[in-house]
This record gives sequence, C-alpha cells and structure tokens, in this order.
Amino acid sequence: MREVTFLEAIRLALWEEMERDPNVFLIGEDIGRMGGAFGVTEGFLARFGADRVVDAPISETAIIAVCVGAAAAGKRGVAEMQFMDFISYGFDQVVNVAGTYLYRSGGKTPIPIVVRGPSGGYVGGSLYHSQQFEAWFFHTPGVKVVQPAFPDDAYGLMKASIRDNNPVVFYEHKYLYRRIKGPIPEAHEDYIVKLGSARVRRYGEDITVVTYGAMVHFALDAAQRLEKEGISLEVIDLRTIKPLDMKTILESVRKTSKVLIVYEAPKTGGVGAEISARIAEQAFEWLDAPIMRVAAKDAFVPFAEPLEKYVLPSVDDIVFAARELAAY
Amino acid sequence: MRTRRKNGQQTVAYHQRLEKSDLIEIYRRLWFARLFDEMLYDAKKKGRLRRGNVYGSRGQEAIMVGTTYPLRPDDFVSPIHRDMPVFVFRGMTVEQVMCQVWGKAEAPTRGKDSWSHMGDMNLGIVHSTSMLGSTIAVACGVLWAQRLDGRRDRVLVAYTGEGATATGPFHEGVNFAAVHKLPLIVVVENNQYAYSTPVELEVPTKTVAERAKGYGIPGYSIDGNDFNAVYDTMCEALAHARAGNGPVLIECVTYRLQGHADHDETRARQYRPVEEIELWEKRDPLPRYREYLLNTGLFEESELPTPPLDIKLQIEQAIAYAINSPDPEPHTALEDIYDESAGVSL
Ligand SMILES: Cc1ncc(C[n+]2csc(CCOP(=O)(O)OP(=O)(O)O)c2C)c(N)n1
Ligand SMILES: [Mg+2]
Repeated sequence: MREVTFLEAIRLALWEEMERDPNVFLIGEDIGRMGGAFGVTEGFLARFGADRVVDAPISETAIIAVCVGAAAAGKRGVAEMQFMDFISYGFDQVVNVAGTYLYRSGGKTPIPIVVRGPSGGYVGGSLYHSQQFEAWFFHTPGVKVVQPAFPDDAYGLMKASIRDNNPVVFYEHKYLYRRIKGPIPEAHEDYIVKLGSARVRRYGEDITVVTYGAMVHFALDAAQRLEKEGISLEVIDLRTIKPLDMKTILESVRKTSKVLIVYEAPKTGGVGAEISARIAEQAFEWLDAPIMRVAAKDAFVPFAEPLEKYVLPSVDDIVFAARELAAY
Repeated sequence: MRTRRKNGQQTVAYHQRLEKSDLIEIYRRLWFARLFDEMLYDAKKKGRLRRGNVYGSRGQEAIMVGTTYPLRPDDFVSPIHRDMPVFVFRGMTVEQVMCQVWGKAEAPTRGKDSWSHMGDMNLGIVHSTSMLGSTIAVACGVLWAQRLDGRRDRVLVAYTGEGATATGPFHEGVNFAAVHKLPLIVVVENNQYAYSTPVELEVPTKTVAERAKGYGIPGYSIDGNDFNAVYDTMCEALAHARAGNGPVLIECVTYRLQGHADHDETRARQYRPVEEIELWEKRDPLPRYREYLLNTGLFEESELPTPPLDIKLQIEQAIAYAINSPDPEPHTALEDIYDESAGVSL
C-alpha cells in the first residue's frame, strides 16, 4: 500500500496506464511543460515525450475531438479540461460525436476516451470554476460518468476509465485534491475499480445516504455527528454515476427504508432526481418515508463567501435532513 | 518624430496632435494601471484580499490606455482578465471595481461573479465570462443591435489574449463580424504566453495579425509597449470601422511580466527563461513613455512623478472602501436568476 493524496492517486493511475499501454496519450492545456494547472501531470512530458503529452492550444473542442478521432483509429486519449466547466466548449464532441459514435458505426467503432478535470465548489472559484455539470452527461446515452471520493477509488476508477471502451467523463473534485489522503495498492497489483459499482463507505441502520464526490466526505462527517444522537447513517459512495449501481442502492434501502440523496449540483434535474425515481419505481413498498434530497440551490455558484455558502450544500444541511427523516 | 505618408502627402501622426493636457492624462492613466496591479498584488500577498485570483497586467498598460484613449463616450469595450483598468477608463469608479474584486454587495455583480466578469451596458462595457473568446461573438450581437438602431458608427473594442484566438467562438465571432462588416476592433494582447504555453504552441503563424487575412480584414502587428504606436494604430482602426469598412484586428506585441495570476509567481519563473523576463523588463512601457514626454520638451522632470502619489492614494482609498463595505446578504444568492419584471402573460 502507498499512502497518497487524491491528486497523487490520479497522477499515478495516469502514469502507470501510460507505462502499460503505448496507445494511451494525454492532451490538454498546460499539461506538458507546466504539468497541469493543478500539477496532475507533473513530470509526464519528460518521461513520455510531446507526442503523448500534448500541450494543446486553448481549444476544448479540438482537445476532445482529437481524442475521439484517435480513439476511432485505435488509441486511448485522455483529455484534461483545465477546469471541468470548460467542457461546455467541447460539449458537442462528448454528446453528439463521442456519445453516438459506436451506435452510428453499427457497433464497429468504440470510442475509448476519458475527459477529466477538476470540478466543484467550496474554493471561492465563482461561476466558471466551480460547477458540477455531471447531469448534462448523465442525461447522455453512450457516455459514462465517474466521480471518485477517495484516493483508492480515484486510482482504480481512472485505470478502469482508460481501459473502458466508451467515452468517460471523469470528475475530480478540486476540494479533495490535496485535502484527502489514503492508501492505494502497489503498481504491480494492477488494481481496477469496475465502472458501475458503488461502495458502502459506512454501514448503518436507519437511513441510506446515496452520494458521490466531495459530498461523500460531508455525509461521513454528518454520520459521525448523528451517531451521538443515536441516528445511524449508511453512506453509499456511488463512485460511478453512470451506469448507476442500483443493486447496492436497493439492498441498502431494503435495510433502512429511508433514503437521503446528496449531491452538489443544482437540485432541479440533478442526478438525485433519477435515483429517487428509480427507488420509487423499484422499492416503493420498502420505504417508510419520502425520499429526500440535499443539493445545491437552483443557482450558479457565486463568488462571495456568504453567497457560495448559501448556495452549496453543507454538512449541517445533511444533518438536518437526516434528523427529519429519522423522526418521520 | 513619426510621420506617415498618405496619398503622397506628409501627415502628422495621430499622437502628435494630442494636447499637453492629453499627454499628462495619458501618463497618469499608465500609472493608474501600473499601481492598480501593484496594489492588488500587494493586498493579496498581505492577506487583505483573501479570495479570488489577481491577474496581473504589468507591462501591458500601454495597450489599455492606447486603445481606450481615442474612443468616443458612446463606443463599447469588452475587457477581460488582464484589462481591469479599462473598466475605470470607461467610467466605472475605482470603488466599484474594488468592490467587485472583494466580492461586495455594491459590486456591479453584487458579489456574484469575480474579477473582470462584470460590465455595465449604460457605460458601454460588455460583460465577459471566463470562457475565453466567447465575448468576441457576443460583441457581434451588441453591434448588431446598434445596426438595428441605425447607429452603425458605434465601435466595439473587444480584448483577447493571443491564446484565446485559438477558440471556436473567437473564430466564429470575427468571421461573423467580417462577413457583415461590423465595426468591431479586436485587440489581441499578445503577451507571448497563455498560462504556461508559449505563443508558438498557440498560434501557427509568425504573427497573430496574419489571422486577419483569413477573414479579409486589416491586421496590424505593433509594439504594444509603445503607447504612441498603439494610439496611432487605434485611431486608424477606428476611422476604418466607423466608416463602415468592417472589423480590424490589432495585435499588440507585449509580454506578461508576472505569473499567469498571483498564485503562479514561482512556476512562471520555471516555465519561462528568466533572461526573457529580464529583457522585457527593460522594455517597460512606462519609462518609455516618460522618456518620450521629456523628449517633446514640453515637460519638466518634476511634472512627471514616478509614481504620481495622488493616484496611489486614490486606489488605496478605494481598496479601504471595498474592505469596509458590506458583504452581500446570503439570500441574495437566489436573486437575479430570472427577470420577471416584464410580467409577460399568456
Ligand atoms: C475556454 C477556456 N479554456 C481555458 C481557460 C483557462 N484559462 C484562463 S486564462 C488562460 C490563458 C489565456 O491565455 P491568453 O488568451 O494568451 O491570455 P493571457 O492570460 O495571456 O492574457 C487559460 C487557459 C478558460 N478561461 N477558458
Ligand atoms: Mg497571452
């Protein structure tokens, strides 16, 4: 086991995949000479050269499109968005080009690409450096969506995403990059976390909390606080948002009969809505309370601290909602 | 002194027609831009400013002053991250700008967005986002509205870094403006780097101005650290655009003397040769303009203080004002998402 930060786990996964498979290459803004805005690809250019670690112009459309074209021709491109917000410039490439490719090639041309980058709020990044737009791609057929919360998962999921034969949008919460540390397996163990498998990060009896990304840590904090009040939370870290691991969710729901879904994106039309609907469809008779959601308010992520705090969900929000559910 | 030959006639360059009062105002604006940058860096370093990045404009002052000075009050600008002083040159108060930097309730965005992502359509300042290049296309819409209003003479000056000329919206915007002959002046501040990436990995041509050929519009590549060159070129471009001849691209060659933003100071001295930075320090536009002014014979040394202390005081007062002004109320985060004031009903 190696004890590393969340960021280092991603770095190592990329590094080891680059070593393992010469078809893997990286492309993005400032990823080579500088090693990326957050330093995820530091040292890669010297090791793998400029053909496999590509400093691209400010052209998110092209950055993703190059991965798509190269994938059609047998390569595995990993595109870095300097901030995940900028994926909006490459939206068409993800949704209309990569997402549909296999379908319109009669199943002959899979598109193994990863579009990765820092996402999320709580750092004063304001409107365009804070967003969690996973719902855009959650809604898109043909595209997988991943967001780890711990270094071991970040490591295993990045490897799985690169080896997966489909377009994967991989969210790395910037708040976790250097704050979260944990053990990851040694390189030779060839550790993979299968896409589409959730993980129970804490076992509990009273309420199932379904969440992902930075919110996993908020939920675990809330669980610790509520334990003293005799409320026991089971925290499920989805790890992969699409495809959803309904099996793990439903197993837990049958045990607790109460569900709280927590996500950082605006509440309306978010991933939580789909999870809620599926639980209602598939486990209605097991429920003892309405399915509840804690999410961001339906606004942008504003700059000023009091505003950002007001919009984004907090540990308190989870605690209050869980108390309400427990008392139901 | 620079003169130009036009239609065989010797003409006086635009900058030579400026009055002494203009020259002193220009000198002061250059210093305003310099001090604005220095004092915000300092505020960030000292912890007086705790949130957001400071994107420096040190070394790029002549572009901001030279491109705005010849504008009419009813022209438009769309400044971006390195153009903070332009907001003041076009009518915002220093207090407003500082409130924006500090995320205060009185800021033009009411604390919602940060730094240069602000505007004021009453002042002709078009709002930008982080999405590089996108305002170039938005500018076309602002100019189209003028066309609909019969105001084809109002010019819009859109700023962009050289790196952002690689984006789709930049290309689509300039192409649109060129097809429809909109009075758009694109000022490319070529400071040689986009974050860590050198210009040769951003733009394939020797100059950014060469891109203009592809749009069939005039493209200038000029010394962006020479106020007079910027001013003269801008005056020419304005005449061209106002006369209905369509857009102009002006590449102002300069250098980003600091990091990409205040957090990047250490790395910026690693991904760039230090000798290069030192070379460009010597091309600082401020001493250059001061020397020009002294050479005109119109000024005593004492008339050109370095820096003008009253400007420093003005900026410091605005910073203090922002620091002491109220934060936005949390619930206002949910305001301004929709405007229902029109009361449209079915
Ligand atoms: C579409 C988009 N991609 C990436 C970024 C991140 N980013 C912010 S500034 C910058 C470099 C800009 O370089 P340039 O256009 O030359 O302007 P400069 O900062 O040098 O003035 C980058 C990559 C962004 N803001 N928007
Ligand atoms: Mg630049």
